Amino acid sequence: MSTQVAVILSVLLFPGGLFALTLGLALKGVDRRVAARLQGRVGPPLTQPFIDLVKLAFKRTMVPTTACEPVFLGAPLVGVVSMLAAAALVPISGLYTPEPILGNLLVVLYLLVIPGIVLMVAGSSSSSPYGAIGFSREMVLMLAYEGPIVLVAAAVALRVGMAEGHVATFSLVEIVAYQRTHSIFLLDPVMWPALGAFCLFFPANLGIVPFDIPEAETEVLEGPVLEYSGPALGLFKVMSALKAVVVLGLGIALFAPLGLSGAPALLGWLAEIAVLMVLGVTAVRLSAGRMRIDQAFSFFFKWPLLLSAASVAAIALV
Amino acid sequence: MTILQKFKDIAVRSPWIYRINAGSCNGCDVEMATTALIPRYDVERLGCQYCGSPRHADIVLISGPLTRHVVDAARRVFDEIPDPKVTVAVGVCPISGGIFRESYAVLAPIDDYFPIDVNVPGCPPRPQAIIEGIAQAIQVWRQRL
Repeated sequence: MSTQVAVILSVLLFPGGLFALTLGLALKGVDRRVAARLQGRVGPPLTQPFIDLVKLAFKRTMVPTTACEPVFLGAPLVGVVSMLAAAALVPISGLYTPEPILGNLLVVLYLLVIPGIVLMVAGSSSSSPYGAIGFSREMVLMLAYEGPIVLVAAAVALRVGMAEGHVATFSLVEIVAYQRTHSIFLLDPVMWPALGAFCLFFPANLGIVPFDIPEAETEVLEGPVLEYSGPALGLFKVMSALKAVVVLGLGIALFAPLGLSGAPALLGWLAEIAVLMVLGVTAVRLSAGRMRIDQAFSFFFKWPLLLSAASVAAIALV
Repeated sequence: MTILQKFKDIAVRSPWIYRINAGSCNGCDVEMATTALIPRYDVERLGCQYCGSPRHADIVLISGPLTRHVVDAARRVFDEIPDPKVTVAVGVCPISGGIFRESYAVLAPIDDYFPIDVNVPGCPPRPQAIIEGIAQAIQVWRQRL
């Protein structure tokens, strides 16, 4: 019984649910503010993403007459639920250990695919031609970045597993525990190529500028979410806020969990996430132009795949 | 003040902007897109954001004298914007037709076709005037919300 209560609390309150949503929206606010400052503007208030959500709650949701209504309105709900579950799966070093019943690294990888699929389903069910273009681009991009992230996960799992005497460990709790007793993978030269591959993966997964090809505002007018308005659009904002927390939290759990505990652990984790957001998202999206879909596809089959494969090979051979 | 009213006061700080070019010469559009709204005078500090899709919009900026050719398309796009919405006519063309006023191709006073809430005259209007127009539109929007 206590396990079920703990699981429900971790999905709805901390570190999933309310906590992840607040953090994700705050990160988005920091991102927009820092971006404005870097461009010499004043920028919106830090609470702007919260304000946007409240506004969207007051607007009307319009469903196109040619759209498939249950799928059109159901898709964002599925995305939000998947991200709530994923947020409860990622451990915070020294603060939160997910219940073993929730799953391991492989489950996180599966859950991370769902928002992409939700965007594809949303785009194609909206019956808008721009949604269809967004659908095909999202699918191509997803095919490109899923390979490297699986190899990154394999590299981490092999590294921990071989050090502990079995083949591979996909338990995120054990991965974090190993890095707490030994050194973090950020300082481990064998893991550097995998880390590089991960740093290239998450902009694509979060859909920010060099890889925001499916939603490209200036080309396909936000593609899959073009036809959404009001609360349904708000659900997409919630989904992407949660996703940012999950992906950045996963990166921290895989490569740089801090050896602290209690309140300092929370502060350290928040600081790591904020740094990753500003350096990995804001700086990247301001300094790059958007790639074409074919460029992004061949890019992912070149560098991230090569880097993550190099890490796996190095771990297997050493 | 009720809780609902408080939430409305919060919501009013997030007006998303959409532009409809109803046959404009592009002068007003340049003022809106490159001078007034984004890089230099930064309306993002008011919470504004340009959106690519009419379905995301709250405040519509219409520029141009409404040519005969574009009227049906402009009305269709306008109907796609979910309520509550506010309409701002930018430039002198929507008011009188401006330099195009006696043309056979122009349906100039745009109020006959769209419910205009705020007029921002000028050819093109100064960036500060456009921003003030948006600020007034936000006041109108607060009452409609």
